[in-house]
Amino acid sequence: MSTTETTETTKPRTRREAKRSRGPYGRVQQVVDELDDRLGLARGGRTFLDKIFPDHWSFMLGEIALYSFVVLLVTGVFLTLYFVPSQATVVYHGVYKPLDGVRMSEAYESTVNISFAVRAGLLMRQMHHWAADVFIGAIVVHMARIFFTGAFRKPRELNWTIGVTLLILAILNGFIGYSLPDDLISGTGLRIGYSIILSIPFVGSYLAFFVFGGTFPGHVIIDRLYIIHVLIIPLIIIGLLSAHLGLLVRQKHTQFPGKGRTEHNVVGSPMFPTFMAKTTGFLLMVGGGLALLGGLAQINPIWQFGPYEASKISYAVQPDWYMGWLDGALRIMPSWQWTAWGHTLPWEVFFPAVLFPGIIFNICFAWPAIERRYTKDNALHNLLDRPRDRPKRTGVGVAMIALLFTLFAASSTDVLANFFHISLNEVLVFFRVAVFVIPIVAGFAAWRICLEMQGVTGVGKRKRAMVISRTETGEYVAEQSAPRPGDGHHELEPVPVPVQIELEPAAVGAAVGTVPDADTSGVRRVNR
Amino acid sequence: MSAHDGETRTPVPLPVARFDDPHLMEAARNPRQTERIIAVIMLVGIAGVIGFGAAYWQNSTPWILAVTLGGGLFFLGFGLTAWGKYLMPQGPFVEERHPLASTEPERVAMAAALVERTGVVVKRRRLLGGLLGGGLGIFGIVAMFPLLRSLGPVPGDALDETNWKKGTYLVDSNGRRVRSDELEVGGIMTVYPAGLENTNAGQAIDETVLIRVQRTDFTTLKGRETWAPLGYVAYSKVCTHLGCPVGLYERELELLVCPCHQSMFDVRDGAVPQFGPAPRPLPQLPLYVDADGYLRAQAGYDQAIGPGFWERTNQGNGTA
Amino acid sequence: MRRLLTNRHLLPALVMAAVGLGFVLGIPSAAGAAGAAAASGTSTPSAQSALSAAGEPGAHTAYHSTTLPISLGSTLRTLINDARACRAEAAKVSHPGPPNTGSPVGSSRVTCVNGRIASYGDSAITYKALPSSYISVGESLFEQNCSSCHLADAQGGPAAPSLIGVGPATVTLWVSTGLMPAATPLTTQAEPKPPRLTHHQAQEIAAFITSLSPAAPFIPSVNVKAANLAEGASLFALNCAACHTITGAGDELAYGTNALSLHTQSPTQVAEAIRTGPGNMPVFSGNLSDSQVRDIVAYVTEKIQHPTDPGGAGLGGIGPVAEGFVALLFGVGGFMLVCYWIGDRA
Repeated sequence: MSTTETTETTKPRTRREAKRSRGPYGRVQQVVDELDDRLGLARGGRTFLDKIFPDHWSFMLGEIALYSFVVLLVTGVFLTLYFVPSQATVVYHGVYKPLDGVRMSEAYESTVNISFAVRAGLLMRQMHHWAADVFIGAIVVHMARIFFTGAFRKPRELNWTIGVTLLILAILNGFIGYSLPDDLISGTGLRIGYSIILSIPFVGSYLAFFVFGGTFPGHVIIDRLYIIHVLIIPLIIIGLLSAHLGLLVRQKHTQFPGKGRTEHNVVGSPMFPTFMAKTTGFLLMVGGGLALLGGLAQINPIWQFGPYEASKISYAVQPDWYMGWLDGALRIMPSWQWTAWGHTLPWEVFFPAVLFPGIIFNICFAWPAIERRYTKDNALHNLLDRPRDRPKRTGVGVAMIALLFTLFAASSTDVLANFFHISLNEVLVFFRVAVFVIPIVAGFAAWRICLEMQGVTGVGKRKRAMVISRTETGEYVAEQSAPRPGDGHHELEPVPVPVQIELEPAAVGAAVGTVPDADTSGVRRVNR
Repeated sequence: MSAHDGETRTPVPLPVARFDDPHLMEAARNPRQTERIIAVIMLVGIAGVIGFGAAYWQNSTPWILAVTLGGGLFFLGFGLTAWGKYLMPQGPFVEERHPLASTEPERVAMAAALVERTGVVVKRRRLLGGLLGGGLGIFGIVAMFPLLRSLGPVPGDALDETNWKKGTYLVDSNGRRVRSDELEVGGIMTVYPAGLENTNAGQAIDETVLIRVQRTDFTTLKGRETWAPLGYVAYSKVCTHLGCPVGLYERELELLVCPCHQSMFDVRDGAVPQFGPAPRPLPQLPLYVDADGYLRAQAGYDQAIGPGFWERTNQGNGTA
Repeated sequence: MRRLLTNRHLLPALVMAAVGLGFVLGIPSAAGAAGAAAASGTSTPSAQSALSAAGEPGAHTAYHSTTLPISLGSTLRTLINDARACRAEAAKVSHPGPPNTGSPVGSSRVTCVNGRIASYGDSAITYKALPSSYISVGESLFEQNCSSCHLADAQGGPAAPSLIGVGPATVTLWVSTGLMPAATPLTTQAEPKPPRLTHHQAQEIAAFITSLSPAAPFIPSVNVKAANLAEGASLFALNCAACHTITGAGDELAYGTNALSLHTQSPTQVAEAIRTGPGNMPVFSGNLSDSQVRDIVAYVTEKIQHPTDPGGAGLGGIGPVAEGFVALLFGVGGFMLVCYWIGDRA
């Protein structure tokens, strides 16, 4: 931190004068000036620092996903330093004795070594896996909030589309990452993936051979999946994530209706410093929480599974949770295969594993358009709906979630049967029915509940005691009691972020000149 | 823009907020106490991070690393968030939302540029436009060549064939030939064609389960009278649903169950699926016992093993 | 036993006698087996030879006794005589099968006492006979606990199968794990429950049932110390994990049957189960040698039953279902609570 100015064209006479020439904000001003000369960032930067983030908690859900992704990148880079993406066979002679002398692929060997021989390797591996599970879970929760509040409506359809794409990419990369260690369980999953590709009509066998470099398992798949997992998909995700956030800044946040909130403003906390403190703290908390999970709860203990050999298998093989709905669909699908003219259409695989997810994701992509067509509402929307005010949309959303969770539950038929001591066959038959019944019932119930809630005043507000009194005519009347002192939050009238703040009265104002209240464009004094 | 040419900066009139503006006040009722609590939380966080450094240095067990790292990060973050929540300007603040849409003339100008300039470029020079389009199209096709020529072989008959031939010995995972007196009734083992027990092909394609269901010969289906000598019956271990190894045998139910999606195959009845998503029986390998008492294949499988695919013909479906 | 093994004259003598006898009698493949036996310090005839010799009256077979309470001072001739009686006994055991199936026929080491087989097996697993003194107590226990379904003399009835020809390992396994006496007869699968009878009582019943009709396998005693855990893990994945899951947690199978959790069984019980195939479990006989069974048993009782779980809480060993539950409930759910706290304007 030298105090001499080397870049100045004119020599300052004294240090004091130099300081004065920079204005009251000293060296910071100088840096801003220099940058602004070259990049012109003062105006936009200031706007960015003033960007308002709504305070409602549900606006933080996407950040869980964002920060899980940050953890994924950091731990993922750590793992790439030690992982060997190769199916070449080696004989293990490492620190984990129960595998001593076992033939395995280099991919599996290096994963075992990460778990046992690399310092903090197991923690990093497990953090990475937990972060992936949480990442996708947070995306789903975030997406549900966007859906139920109508935040996807015009002008934000594009960002919704990007979000759905991100979800698909996250699921895909999660599955691929899960497959990389080449352990017994993930190898089985990879074989199922191969068979799913095989099931595609006309081109399936060709596609499968191109992806796997021949018949399963081949010698190249781990290497290919690796580069997709660590480079290609993460790059696309980063690109789309930037677009996602860029659009968010450009279009500004939505907000729930409330005091001082209109279609034409955003009320909340400014980027700097309040939101930045909160969100940076949240980043650290997500990182810390994932580290705690990563070291306290064991995930994917591949050393127990052993290396993949195609003729070995474990029972109770479920994929990670975000693939569970597809696995469940595969389990409960009846054995409908179509054969004709010397050709086979493996409908029992092609429908649940290819067509069905295609349909689901296309519904997601198309939903803003579907809704716009149905409601004929082409207006711009910045204020959010309450879910109960849109009973049909809420009903559809609940039905969709119920469908996916029923399928998710169907992927653990064996675990459920074991837990409740019911016959596995009965559980499977149950799910074949439930997959139709539960979504319909749940959707209908949600729709009804929304209608009921619309009729009740004060739902969703902070609870106050209800006083039920009986009138002379025998009618009962329910009324909210008056707020108790100190109860409830008295929110101030929202004001624009002040351009300048009197840190010490007279110090700043004297230097720059105080502007009278009356002619400030931005600041409104609130006198209470 | 620049205002710092060495001269004294002229005061810029900017709106200013008073320090005691209620929007700038902290949300905490008792800021000093809150500050102390947050300080303690942050100290815990710092202690955690230091502890992580020490634990990493000592190569501690994962749970110690997790508690120190996770606790450290979490409490640091917790303190920072609490600082932002309780001790920073409570707001609320508002920003105006300026319409994103451009003006009508700007929109028209954009559309005009797209339509008219394209017209100028392409429509007046149809030949060049056609050549460009054609060239790019051809390149698109050429760009597919690596896909067809380098990523993998074309399937051909690879999915229809296994390495089981007439006379192939059945061997176990150690390459030991299987004798006809090895299994008891109710026994199961995984067998491979001799010499391929430790290869990808042998493991993933040729894997076969050998089950002894009774002491005498028995027939699973018509036309398979001689396929199961001494009650030994062999089925492809590759599930016809999604290719998982069907290694789950229930002796009393005489069912083979696929551990992945619970298709259930009746061992005594040609492995016809009784339940679950598998659409076809597991192909059966015809066996015989040679003069030395070893089990061998009468022939290869009479159909493609494993999951279905478009080119799979319907032959050998359930019957020999 | 110890004195015998430490006697530096007797041991080479026995080995030489075995090898010499083997060559003299032209026993195929005896050399290899003898070489292996020499390494482990015991005498052996070939497994196959014992099987074939059983049918040929003229052939001399050497069932050498290694635990010799009665024949310590006796001559080689007595030994052979003893072995003949023993062989006759072995022929009565209704469990003919290929080598290393848990049957005395074809075992590399058979011990005879008073003309009865006292134990057989090899260095990996020794199958021990139950003492005849157990029989009388076993009979009364059988009458109290078993005969109502299996009927007197274990002939079987409408509610339960015949136990004739069922070996001691089978009986001990079913009774000592609590599968028998069954709570509800005639169910698809006997439900495991806390055993009603002690392990010792189970053996007494087994001794009684075996006395009705001699059968194998005997009670296996597994030498887990010499096991190869990596081999055990590999065999477990190939043969066991398809039902019991790779972590040994057990799970529900077809039509109301289930594969038991492997977290409580003793080495003997695991070996008994592998060799006898209780209920719907397949019988693993000829395809698994005694040393392979030993490796599996060691892997189950050391690694499956005592997982080190270096990565934290094991979550029941049921894999992604539990992991997804934790990720969604504690991960996403926990972070949502934090969100709620952050967003809540106090």
